[in-house]
Amino acid sequence: MNIFVEGIKEGVYLIWQMDPEIIQITLLSLQVSLTALVLSAVFGIPAGAALALKRIPGKRIYLNIIYTLMGLPPVLAGLLVYLLLTYRGPLGQFELLFTPSAMVFAQVLLAAPIVCGLTARAVMALPQDVYDTAATLGASRRQAAAAIMREARIGIVAALTTAFGRVIAEVGAVMLVGGNIRWSTRVLTMSIVLETRMGNFSTAIAIGLILLTLSFIINLLILKLEKRTLRYDNTIQIT
Amino acid sequence: MTTQFKLHNIIKRYGSRTVLDIDQLALPEGRIYTIMGPNGSGKSTLLRIMALLLINDEGELEVLGEKVSWEKEQLLHLRRQMSMVTQTAFMFQGSVDYNVAYGLKVRKMNSRLIRERVNEMLEMAGMSAYREADARTLSGGERQKAALARAMAVNPRVLFLDEPTSNIDMASAAEIEKYIRTINKEQGTTIILVTHNLFQARRLADEVIFIYDGRIIERGSAESIFDDPRDQRTLAFLHGDAVMQ
Repeated sequence: MNIFVEGIKEGVYLIWQMDPEIIQITLLSLQVSLTALVLSAVFGIPAGAALALKRIPGKRIYLNIIYTLMGLPPVLAGLLVYLLLTYRGPLGQFELLFTPSAMVFAQVLLAAPIVCGLTARAVMALPQDVYDTAATLGASRRQAAAAIMREARIGIVAALTTAFGRVIAEVGAVMLVGGNIRWSTRVLTMSIVLETRMGNFSTAIAIGLILLTLSFIINLLILKLEKRTLRYDNTIQIT
Repeated sequence: MTTQFKLHNIIKRYGSRTVLDIDQLALPEGRIYTIMGPNGSGKSTLLRIMALLLINDEGELEVLGEKVSWEKEQLLHLRRQMSMVTQTAFMFQGSVDYNVAYGLKVRKMNSRLIRERVNEMLEMAGMSAYREADARTLSGGERQKAALARAMAVNPRVLFLDEPTSNIDMASAAEIEKYIRTINKEQGTTIILVTHNLFQARRLADEVIFIYDGRIIERGSAESIFDDPRDQRTLAFLHGDAVMQ
């Protein structure tokens, strides 16, 4: 129990001290994860909506593939990106391996299927009435699609928070393609692994604490955003 | 009187089952039409085809003087002259105000005009006090009135009503019927109403169209259909008998 208390104390101390390396690692974690989340949203939300709304031959197969990719093992994602970016790989000429860009690439591979799959599910769960109501009130196809996405936004926010949870906590893929290089590609999760291996358990717990705090703040912001667009409390009331 | 809807040999199938088979139907503007028939007879299918929400498999459809090609530009142009209220009266997440303003916003109307129009519609529907209320917490009757205000805000030439009072109490239904009559008389809006309620059909309809097994078997004034039906199946329906194949 003492080790946890020590870890928490050290975490507070590290944050208080504004240790430059910890700050750099924290900012890099944030940069990589948020970039991956934004890119996953940019690709995943429209893809999920299209998958749910368009008449696509073999839709079930595509959905099945997306759902499978939602459980893609991070190490496998890392390996794929590694093979793509390695010197002899198809994208080797861009020299991205062991850079934050490679880490973003790997994380997008993990997060985009989650955003896509959960967005598709959220849209597919809506009744036909959403489109019919919008259309009979004179909405164009684009406006009706926007109304559908608006109705599905709780599900889409859930997709984004899930995807963020996946990328911020991820270590296997980023370690493979990032290389855990100090002052360059080391992120919080890698530091936890490193400190644990060196027996610095309280430091590892401290970094974990920073990671959790960061995740808490980001999720709070995402939920704030949801609350702003959703004035009314839609929670089921159980009495 | 201009004919707003012309249907010629309209057929709709679900798989191998033909659910609608209309030889001819022409509906002049400005009247209240009631489509009646037993469950599964094709009433709602007919309504959805006329509202351009469902594509017919065969036949020709003419809406508001235009032969329907189902091209998206034409669909939008025609749909913007009609609106609909269904049995469930789906409400978008948000306030009553948001819902009533929706059709005006998609037409990119000036926000001041939207505000005025929403006020006017809510007042007409007796829903002014609910303007800021969450649309999904309204009671059945309030929801239907909000849906009617929303549908009428866009000033449609045709209003489709699919069982608009089947889930609400008699007092609310009476208010809605009054509102429907006002819309028709004062604004000349054509009303096409699907209902199971014989009394409501009799009270509201200028003309009744009776559908059985996807086909129109009788059409006429409310008096003639209710007092002197020519088809045995209509008679059986009016007497509440089970209409069997």
